[in-house]
Amino acid sequence: MVQYNFKKITVVPNGKDLIDIILSRTQRQTPTVVHKGYAISRLRQFYMRKVKYTQQNFHEKLSAIIDEFPRLDDIHPFYGDLLHVLYNKDHYKLALGQVNTARNLISKIAKDYVKLLKYGDSLYRCKSLKVAALGRMCTVIKRISPSLAYLEQIRQHMARLPSIDPNTRTILICGYPNVGKSSFINKITRADVDVQPYAFTTKSLFVGHTDYKYLRYQVIDTPGILDRPFEDRNIIEMCSITALAHLRAAILFFLDISGSCGYSIAQQAALFHSIKSLFMNKPLIVVCNKTDLQPLEGISEEDMKLVMEMKAEAMKTVMGQGGEPANEEAVLVTMSTLTEDGVIAVKNAACERLLDQRVEIKMKSKKINDCLNRFHVAMPKPRDQKERPPCIPQAVLEARAKEAAEKERRKTEKDLENENGGAGVYSASLKKHYILANDEWKEDIMPEILDGHNVADFIDPDILLRLEELEREEGLRQAEEEDDDFEMDGEELNAEEKEALAEIRKKKSLLIQQHRIKKSTAESRSIMPRKFDKNKEFTSERMGRQLTALGLDPSLAINRARSRSLSRKGRKRERSSDNHGDAMDVDMDTPSKKLRARSRSLSLSRSRSRSRPPSEVTPGDGFKDSAQKVKAIKIAKKSVKKRNKDARKGEADRVIPSLKPKHLFSGKRSIGKTQRR
Amino acid sequence: MPQGDYIELHRKRHGYRHDHFERKRKKEAREVHKRSAIAQKALGIKGKMFAKKRYAEKALLKKTLLMHEESTSRRKVDDDVQDGAVPAYLLDRENTTRAKVLSNTIKQKRKEKAGKWEVPLPKVRPVAEDEMFKVIRSGKRKTKQWKRMVTKATFVGPGFTRKPPKYERFIRPSGLRFNKAHVTHPELKCTFNLEIIGVKKNPNGPMYTSLGVMTKGTIIEVNVSELGLVTPAGKVVWGKYAQVTNNPENDGCINAVLLV
Repeated sequence: MVQYNFKKITVVPNGKDLIDIILSRTQRQTPTVVHKGYAISRLRQFYMRKVKYTQQNFHEKLSAIIDEFPRLDDIHPFYGDLLHVLYNKDHYKLALGQVNTARNLISKIAKDYVKLLKYGDSLYRCKSLKVAALGRMCTVIKRISPSLAYLEQIRQHMARLPSIDPNTRTILICGYPNVGKSSFINKITRADVDVQPYAFTTKSLFVGHTDYKYLRYQVIDTPGILDRPFEDRNIIEMCSITALAHLRAAILFFLDISGSCGYSIAQQAALFHSIKSLFMNKPLIVVCNKTDLQPLEGISEEDMKLVMEMKAEAMKTVMGQGGEPANEEAVLVTMSTLTEDGVIAVKNAACERLLDQRVEIKMKSKKINDCLNRFHVAMPKPRDQKERPPCIPQAVLEARAKEAAEKERRKTEKDLENENGGAGVYSASLKKHYILANDEWKEDIMPEILDGHNVADFIDPDILLRLEELEREEGLRQAEEEDDDFEMDGEELNAEEKEALAEIRKKKSLLIQQHRIKKSTAESRSIMPRKFDKNKEFTSERMGRQLTALGLDPSLAINRARSRSLSRKGRKRERSSDNHGDAMDVDMDTPSKKLRARSRSLSLSRSRSRSRPPSEVTPGDGFKDSAQKVKAIKIAKKSVKKRNKDARKGEADRVIPSLKPKHLFSGKRSIGKTQRR
Repeated sequence: MPQGDYIELHRKRHGYRHDHFERKRKKEAREVHKRSAIAQKALGIKGKMFAKKRYAEKALLKKTLLMHEESTSRRKVDDDVQDGAVPAYLLDRENTTRAKVLSNTIKQKRKEKAGKWEVPLPKVRPVAEDEMFKVIRSGKRKTKQWKRMVTKATFVGPGFTRKPPKYERFIRPSGLRFNKAHVTHPELKCTFNLEIIGVKKNPNGPMYTSLGVMTKGTIIEVNVSELGLVTPAGKVVWGKYAQVTNNPENDGCINAVLLV
């Protein structure tokens, strides 16, 4: 929140540094090279850019300063007043105003000189105008350098102001100098305020935080106030007055009843009465400090009267809130920060009073519904008089009792430790609970290295079991190996068997080779069913050959195959229906026209290898009809033509046989003027 | 959280580091070497700026050193030469005295006749016409070249209205019109921003005077009422002549010296 944290303001550079920064930035970030011969518009643009760039940078930096420093009217009045007290509002506003006028002046200068640059007709004139513009801007900044120095000092001081939240629960400590305010805050919070025997040790506000009933309270330590008329107060006292005036806090007015601060109770009471107007509507507690030197009961009569007067005043603040009159003790309390006697009681009293007041105010405000859930715990209304205590099973109760007993009975290691001399003296024996075969081994020292090996590598609790398992496995494996350990010796076979073996091996290797070839092209090749057998591999002759190779009579098988083959059927029909024409063809499950043509040639010559015309579509090709196939073939040929002309082996052939053939590179001028000498 | 003067507080409570002063002393001693390294390695504009700063520092250093070296010992002092003292070899001659003493007023009258005035800049670089004017082409086919635009700073006066653009021969652009001049008083040595009343004389020619062109050396009349000068007769002086001392078209402002 900007209102109470001023640490985020950027550093304000002093005048000379600001000029250096901006000018060097202009020199680095804008183009630097320009020549006399450039077009005039380019020259003008070059210099106008520099002027504009400098103006923009100044504008940015000065705007940053103006925006980041807080406006005294926009922040919480407590901070507004505090800053006024510390730095003088008028001086502050003047300094910021000067920075603002400087910013406007620089804008005007830049505008004027950019207008003038439009009339520049030579490099020299444009350059002089740019120099003049930048020079004037820097003079403006030089003139405000005292303001910049002042703002930098203010910024440094503001950054070290304590971050006080004006709206949260606050406890304010006030009183004469040296009464013990800083010692008190040191006791209840973690703020480390300097405590010294001389007056005005604390010269500014300090803040610490403390907790009470799960809520965080701010405790603010103020410099001591002297009893003087308002106009005579110096800056340090004005800080405390400002805090008293603007913060809605519980006020602890400290009273030194022993008088060791150097001021009597009468003087302190006088101060109290002079600033009691500032205690309006705030819970006030009068704290009597330094009771170790002088107990409250032991002071003189007049002093007692004064103290009672103060107490009465403080009571009025309680009464004004309509609180219970029973809290008489919470108005005047005694304590001693040296012996820490009553410090916590004071803190609790103050926190309690503040909390009550804040709760009451919240109750009366319109925003009660937002907070209501925090105050009110809804209890269900009892519908009858029957008692319904919580139901705890008997077993749980017994277990609880036993646990309690056990807790008392069992002696923990910690108890042992404490008995035997404490943490540094007693070291627990960790080996006490080891489970070993022989209890005497508990305290033995285990060796770590034996014969050059780590003992730990060989330790395993189930080591014997593992050994047994391993041995079993070993036995099994040996038996298996004996089983299939019989080798084929070459001497055992006779000649026929050797031949047969050779045959089998040859056939096998052939099959393997064939399979490999097929496999390598299988990705690009479609799997065609056997009836579309393009290369006529699966013929009955082949079958016959294979069968004879095996030593069987093929004739029966061939006959059977032939009797069942389709072409045969077709052929038969062919011969008879040649004369009749197409009418008969519809019913038959004959092969297509193409096949008929084939089979015609089949009847003429069977054993020759056939070459088909290129446009003939065989079923495995993937073409719809012969026109498509012809087109495909044409495209393929066209794509290859260029490569063939360049004598390239394929798509990937990029070999250049000679990069610089001599007949092209000799006998010419190197710059390409002529191609001959 | 650190509050108030926490640095001083820490120093009060815990004192300084055991080697704090030693380190500080050594760091300051190292600054000399660092500075010389920067001076030797800095290049370009940074190097030049650093060199300039350093030169100024060194000059100051030398001066203070010299001042310290001035001893309180006595030195021989030369006797001043008396007025009218004459060296020995001229002692026998008779000095002639002038009969007539020329008075100030006569000298002024002579000067007036000659038409010479004492001005801070007696001689000024002549400005050629093509430097002063830029030719503006006009007409349907941009062939007519009778218009001219003034490229120097001008003054036109408060009641000025342009001639109709069709008949305007000399164009004085509004961007180059100036009303105020930075006038320096030669004796008071301070500068005021005064309004121009008119252009009295431009040394380059009467045409430029009539156009109101202000170049270096032009005599202008400025409104000095804010200086509060009074004549011996009791009248308030509100206009005085000043001479322009810079090139206004290069600097964007008119700097002049008051002619007293």
